[in-house]
Amino acid sequence: MATNTWRRLMHDRPARIAAAVLGTAALVAFFAPWLARYDPTLQPDPVTLRLLAPSWQHWFGTDPFSRDVLSRVLHGARVSLGVAAGAMLLAVTLGAALGALAAVFGGWVDAAVGALVDVLIAMPRLLVVIALVATFGALSPWWLIALIGGSGWLATARIVRAEFRDHLQRDYVLAARALGASRWRIVWQHLLPAVAPQIAVAAALALAAVIPLEAALSFVGLGIQPPLPSWGNILLDGTDYLTTAWWLVVFPLGAVTLTVGSALVLADRLRAAIAGEEHRR
Amino acid sequence: MTRLVVTRALHAAAVCAVVATSVFVLLQFAPGDPFATSLDGADIPPGVRAEWRARYGFDRPPTERFVRWAGALARGELGYSASRHQTVAAVVSDAVPRTLLLVGVALVIGFAAGVGIAVLQARHHRRWPDRVLGALTLGGVAVPEFLLALLAMTWLGVRWRLFPVAGIGSLGDTAAWPLWEQVADLVWHLALPAIVLAIAVASRVARHQRAALLGVLDEDFIRTARAKGLGEWDVLWRHALPNAIGPVIALLGLALPSLVGGAVLIERIFGWPGMGLTLFDALLARDYPLVLAAVLLATVLAVLARTLTDVIAELVAPRRTREP
Amino acid sequence: MTRIFLGRLALVLCLAAACGGRDRGPTGGIVVVSAGADAETLFPPLVVTNQGRAVTELIYDKLADIGPGLNTIGDAGFVPKLASTWEWSRDSLTITFHMNPNARWHDGRPVTARDVQYAFKVWTDSAVGAVQRSALASVDSIATPDALTARVHFRERAPEQFFAFVYTLIPLPAHRLAAIADTALHDAAEVRAPVGNGPFRFVSWMPRVRLELAANAAYYAGRPRLDGVVYVVAAQGATVAARLLAGEADFLEQLAPPDFAQLPADHSVRAQAYGGFDYLFVQFNLRDPAATERAHPIFGDVALRRALTLGVNRTAIVRSIFDTLARPAIGPFSRTQWTADTTLRGIPFDSALAARALDSLGWHDTNGDGVRERGGRPLAFSLLVPASSRARQAAAVLLQAQLKTIGVRVTIEQADFNAFLDRAHRAAFDALVGGVRTSPSPRGVRDVWSTPGPAAGTQNFGRWSNTTFDAHVDSALAATSAGAVRAHVRTAYQAAIDDAPAIWLYEPRLFAGVHRRLTVGALRPDAWWANVASWSIDPAQRLPRDRRASPTP
Repeated sequence: MATNTWRRLMHDRPARIAAAVLGTAALVAFFAPWLARYDPTLQPDPVTLRLLAPSWQHWFGTDPFSRDVLSRVLHGARVSLGVAAGAMLLAVTLGAALGALAAVFGGWVDAAVGALVDVLIAMPRLLVVIALVATFGALSPWWLIALIGGSGWLATARIVRAEFRDHLQRDYVLAARALGASRWRIVWQHLLPAVAPQIAVAAALALAAVIPLEAALSFVGLGIQPPLPSWGNILLDGTDYLTTAWWLVVFPLGAVTLTVGSALVLADRLRAAIAGEEHRR
Repeated sequence: MTRLVVTRALHAAAVCAVVATSVFVLLQFAPGDPFATSLDGADIPPGVRAEWRARYGFDRPPTERFVRWAGALARGELGYSASRHQTVAAVVSDAVPRTLLLVGVALVIGFAAGVGIAVLQARHHRRWPDRVLGALTLGGVAVPEFLLALLAMTWLGVRWRLFPVAGIGSLGDTAAWPLWEQVADLVWHLALPAIVLAIAVASRVARHQRAALLGVLDEDFIRTARAKGLGEWDVLWRHALPNAIGPVIALLGLALPSLVGGAVLIERIFGWPGMGLTLFDALLARDYPLVLAAVLLATVLAVLARTLTDVIAELVAPRRTREP
Repeated sequence: MTRIFLGRLALVLCLAAACGGRDRGPTGGIVVVSAGADAETLFPPLVVTNQGRAVTELIYDKLADIGPGLNTIGDAGFVPKLASTWEWSRDSLTITFHMNPNARWHDGRPVTARDVQYAFKVWTDSAVGAVQRSALASVDSIATPDALTARVHFRERAPEQFFAFVYTLIPLPAHRLAAIADTALHDAAEVRAPVGNGPFRFVSWMPRVRLELAANAAYYAGRPRLDGVVYVVAAQGATVAARLLAGEADFLEQLAPPDFAQLPADHSVRAQAYGGFDYLFVQFNLRDPAATERAHPIFGDVALRRALTLGVNRTAIVRSIFDTLARPAIGPFSRTQWTADTTLRGIPFDSALAARALDSLGWHDTNGDGVRERGGRPLAFSLLVPASSRARQAAAVLLQAQLKTIGVRVTIEQADFNAFLDRAHRAAFDALVGGVRTSPSPRGVRDVWSTPGPAAGTQNFGRWSNTTFDAHVDSALAATSAGAVRAHVRTAYQAAIDDAPAIWLYEPRLFAGVHRRLTVGALRPDAWWANVASWSIDPAQRLPRDRRASPTP
């Protein structure tokens, strides 16, 4: 039945467009060094070539350090999407694992995971991340992934736990159990594939949450360290010149909005496909 | 019912205790102390800093400080904020009402607007109002809040001068003004931060509410209602919405802490020093007693809000669960 | 050189023009000051920040204030305030201050010598924890022969003893505070709603929101022209500027470089230069962060430090970040200090020479990765930058790119200010972008650059140690004539430039943002608020807020 959900999604036009945008973004991120015309950290002349409006040489203009904004946005995709994808994978894996554990074992494991969720959900995520960055100093992208991913698994855990508990009561699981299948075999062969679409929804939403979080961290000066470009720190450079150099804000903002929006649309359509499937069943 | 309340309260207390302890432990690893920045200067001898550290017990081992802090908390004392030269209680009692006002107003406006947008979208499903509003709400979620805030400040505040750029009220002795003028002044100053925050809330609510509404609209009882000859608006407002609003309210309860946290940047940009900004400043100043108190308060608020929204969600949408 | 001269000229002209306007202008109007931080306390002994001083020094007057020439030696140029006259004993160990008989506290009581004596007690009591009390270390005691005479006895003679005393000690109202225990003073209600004696009196304070002051009609030097001063606080730099640009505020202490492009086309806001006492630098850690008894593996070598300096185009850094709003720094001082010397021999920018110097020191790029190495160690270091300063971050980014071209790899590490200072004090860094706000006195240079010890070098994060520098700084601070001071600091500064414990980056010039309706006169570089009492607002440009915000007397 999960395969039907995927098939439904493939025939959904908004979902296809959103997936295409995300795919393009991923390709851009991967091939950025070949796509970009300039080195994103190259400062040809920070005195006379700074803050140039978009032109044929610089399609997206230049920034306060005379660096090419297009090249920075392309390379920024690497960092921003890399961090976002890494954090998303970590969050979803952690969430799925903890949610599954809670559902399958129940009892004190369930209670412990539930308490952990309650504790973490009570604390604003942005402030938790800021506190940790303040504690451990400037963070490499890897640490940022660990931090953002490690604080973002709550939603996935809740969803997976609820879905697992629901499915554990269903006939096919009970039947498999009666036939002597082990607990983990059931989880791997039946439950995970059945719940995969819901996990995908959680993943898309996690992706959509991480990109603005990185931008917000950059805004308080604690995000990706310069000169490595990220969409967040390109935007930060732009906030000083909102009215005087629009190209510094518009292009990275466009990149952020497109990817986040696509992730959200994908999550929506996926949810609709799941609902349609459940409805039909 | 009493048992439920008691277990809930115990649970909430346990959560708060764990949060406080873990924050305290975490802070021990943070470099610097409350006097590192406030007492840094070429002409300030290092001895002065050591003296102030000793005065507030920062030369003590962490375990002793924790025991002292917890003991004081049990007596209802939150401690002294070294970075503000004030008691923590005074700082917090200034900040909490501001946050409650800002987040509360943004929540109410955002929720109402979000539900309204969703109903409109459901009514015109797959036609242009649905599409346009869908794109707008998508943008409302995707554009980072701090950027929205800066744009609002630059255009609505500086360029067109419709609203004050920042601040929580006009200058002068506003307390002596007639009541309606005081309220108008407050609303005028609240406008920008509340609008920006409300846009974020409304976008999220609308997206969830629309999906929930569309899910319900296929159900049998809606078909029954339509068969009875009810108009489409009546069906939406009277039958579909009450059955679809519960999960959205519960979701809002879950999102409340992140709303308070997300308000940090908005509070900072619009000079609205509520809990988020207080906590942020306290973190950067390593003002431990203030950080702990603020985190604890945020946790209590979050737990309360969750409980409250759970109750509301149950009250609002009991119909279908009772019917079959 | 020319540009430096022109800058000087502009400042002088502006001072002259402003001085002419001092005696004109009607009374009335409220000045709204847009501030980026709030006063941390209103209790003078505990004030550290500029904003704290900007508020308390309007509420409280000093005995005498430094003159427009900013001289710190002897008492030349000092302006009488609460003390109308003073005289020195023959041995210079006693100064007798005669209080202005018209000076009144805001509650109407006269300001007496006893208030000076009480303030000295508070300042030096370790239970209060006054931060600047080391400046009063040379004062032995204060006697009060009569109510209007304060006799200050010094332990030793020092060229700056007068400056150190009057610039630090602010008389406090003994009749209101003496009953409060010294340990309870820091958060007493009396201290949060202070009764002062200055041109403005305290009205209300909403921490981190705003602070209101009103004109003191009974001020002994005549009522201020303004009806009041209100500080409005916002933490975000963009907001602080936006308030001025939107016309909600009349004055902003310092415009940031991006603000200049946004000044309104109708010229309703102008930028006014007033010097500035800051200088910024890249400070090298001369000790190994892992083991401080060892020299730093890279920066221990003076030839390498000089080679790195050669490779930095400071003019380009200044032009890129500040355009003409800053100047390349010369050495460990600010051009605004009277001891400044612009004729010192600096290290020029010459990247070819830098590359040759690195070659000759044995640093070569043998593996072709663009980074030089020697004995297996790459020529790479981390540069610590405070996350709160956009200008310092920009300088770091520019520096990183410049050093890359001569084969040096710089990794930028941003840290919030608290963590930054913590690591600086622990010497846990390779290099950092540091900044110093000097005072009119050259004294501060010893804290930042002299060999670390109990009495000096407490802020010498890089642990630089140079005997020529130390000796001449000590001699300069002990010299009693301005000429001798200049001669010694000149030698000391030259040693600091030659030994390159830091790359001297830039000196920002301060530009206040001033609304058209406000006339401010000259702004003193060390304290823009020094002459607020003579500021005025054009009656034709009054705003509703001037009337509404007027506090009831």
